[in-house]
Amino acid sequence: MTTRRLMLAYALVAPVVLWRLATSIYPFIYTAYLSFHDNSPVRRTFDFIGIQNYIQAFNDTNTPISLEFTAFFTIASVSLQVVFALAVALLLNRSFPLRGVVRAVNLLPWAMSAIVIGTAARWMFNVDYGLINDIIWRLTGERPLWLVDVTSARFAVVFVDVWKNAAFLSVIFLSGLQGIPQEVYEAARIDGAGRLQSFWHITLPLLLPLILSMAIFGAIFRVLTFEIVYALTEGGPGTTTALFSYLAYLQAFRVLNFGYAAAISMILFFIVLVVGLVGFGFLRRAWARYY
Amino acid sequence: MAIAQARPHIRPRLNSRKLAESALFYAGVLLFLLVVLLPIWYIFLTAFAAGDQLFTKPLNYFPQTFGFLDRLQIVFSNLPIAQYLLNTVFLALASTLIALFLSFLAAYSIARLQFPGANLVLTILLASTMLPGVATVIPLFQMWQTLKLMNTLQGLLILYVSPLLPITVWVLVSFVKQVPVEIEDAAKVDGAGFWSMIWHVVLPTIKPGLAVMFIVNFIAGWNEFFTPLIFARGPASKTITMALSEAQTIGSSTQFYQNWGNMSAVAIIVTVPVFIITLLFQRQIIEGITAGAIK
Repeated sequence: MTTRRLMLAYALVAPVVLWRLATSIYPFIYTAYLSFHDNSPVRRTFDFIGIQNYIQAFNDTNTPISLEFTAFFTIASVSLQVVFALAVALLLNRSFPLRGVVRAVNLLPWAMSAIVIGTAARWMFNVDYGLINDIIWRLTGERPLWLVDVTSARFAVVFVDVWKNAAFLSVIFLSGLQGIPQEVYEAARIDGAGRLQSFWHITLPLLLPLILSMAIFGAIFRVLTFEIVYALTEGGPGTTTALFSYLAYLQAFRVLNFGYAAAISMILFFIVLVVGLVGFGFLRRAWARYY
Repeated sequence: MAIAQARPHIRPRLNSRKLAESALFYAGVLLFLLVVLLPIWYIFLTAFAAGDQLFTKPLNYFPQTFGFLDRLQIVFSNLPIAQYLLNTVFLALASTLIALFLSFLAAYSIARLQFPGANLVLTILLASTMLPGVATVIPLFQMWQTLKLMNTLQGLLILYVSPLLPITVWVLVSFVKQVPVEIEDAAKVDGAGFWSMIWHVVLPTIKPGLAVMFIVNFIAGWNEFFTPLIFARGPASKTITMALSEAQTIGSSTQFYQNWGNMSAVAIIVTVPVFIITLLFQRQIIEGITAGAIK
């Protein structure tokens, strides 16, 4: 490779790399640095305090509550999304009149702004006048308290996230389904397999690599969710629906405690890292065994 | 026909089973449509209802009054909605174009020029998307204050472009790789310079990929909320998503007062354009989603 060509190659990637360095990688490293400081624009402090912020984070009563909810939210939302998206993908994989329209409808939640969905959902979960309780009341005569009660508020956040993000997964699953050759199903049918058997013994195993890797990516992005909690519950009641990322936001921009918020963000980063490493490590081991 | 008459006990049984199966199928489709469309319809219903018509128990699933135009008038006269819309269009469009241009250059370099470390660059770019937004925002906030970029469109534009870059590079790399090297070589033989070859040969061939990323990135920019929440402080740079919470408190001195009708009117202003884009460019969006996820 000539020097000229090499220079050209580097010059072409340079803008993107520099842009990301300046707006993502450098700020992240600086956040790590900040997390060892007492830095507050209000108190006008910038003092090195070692791991005090981390100790404070581990002693804060909000931390376990928030971590517990982050774990619950991630697992519940990803599992429900996978099930829902798989069902939708199976529906859309069949040809029927107006399939194009239904496919377009499927994309609408994906296209909508998360903040619109979160804000509107707060109104929909209104105990007396919201859509959700009107339907539940028509069916059962009850009106659940939703955002007032801890457990139902947590489920409300999960449901909204599933509604918004399952479409993305279903589009991917659908394209996975279309990649399975029809002959495999033909052969199975000749061997006497029913629809359900075909699903369990052909569709699911062939789609499993895609499902698992998307579930891991999904889990990482669930941990980073912000808008829905910001708009729907503001972390309440108390901090029971405050995802860890929302907790960091509160410390940074409501309490203006930059150093402490930086420490929380770093813990969040390690959670993402662990989810990613464990997830993909597990995947690689599973593939080594089966494929 | 003759066979069916000869075995009358088989055909009806098969038919009723098929019928039950397709009834179940259509019930599934209907349920799915209800789950997706009812909440969206409810936003329209809320925006259409006049005044206290919002608070009806049980709910009316069809508009009884039409107060939408009044709501629009209230929202437009109390908030600088037109300015917000202009800012949003500018940010979404400019960030999309800049990201597309820079990502294309990088993608070409990574896919074609095969410099040492090309894969490493791609991996680092993709890994950087998993850095939590909150873990980068505090230093950016401080930098933007020092650089006097707070509450400016330029300042927001830089931040809007950033998250689009890795995924756009990633998708365009796979598109560039599909361009046969032969046609590039042929262009070189014909005496085309590097940039002329890029412009006349490579760009036209990967146009579908550029179109896909244009649409997906534009929607992402349009819907952005976190960045303006932190970095936009006034009409000079606020975007339309900021108007949602502002519309809820029109005509009230307390931030706890929530006017859902006005909020819904703004929600419709934010949502209808992306719905139109989605319906028009369904195919590109589906391709964009799958191209990013499945290599």
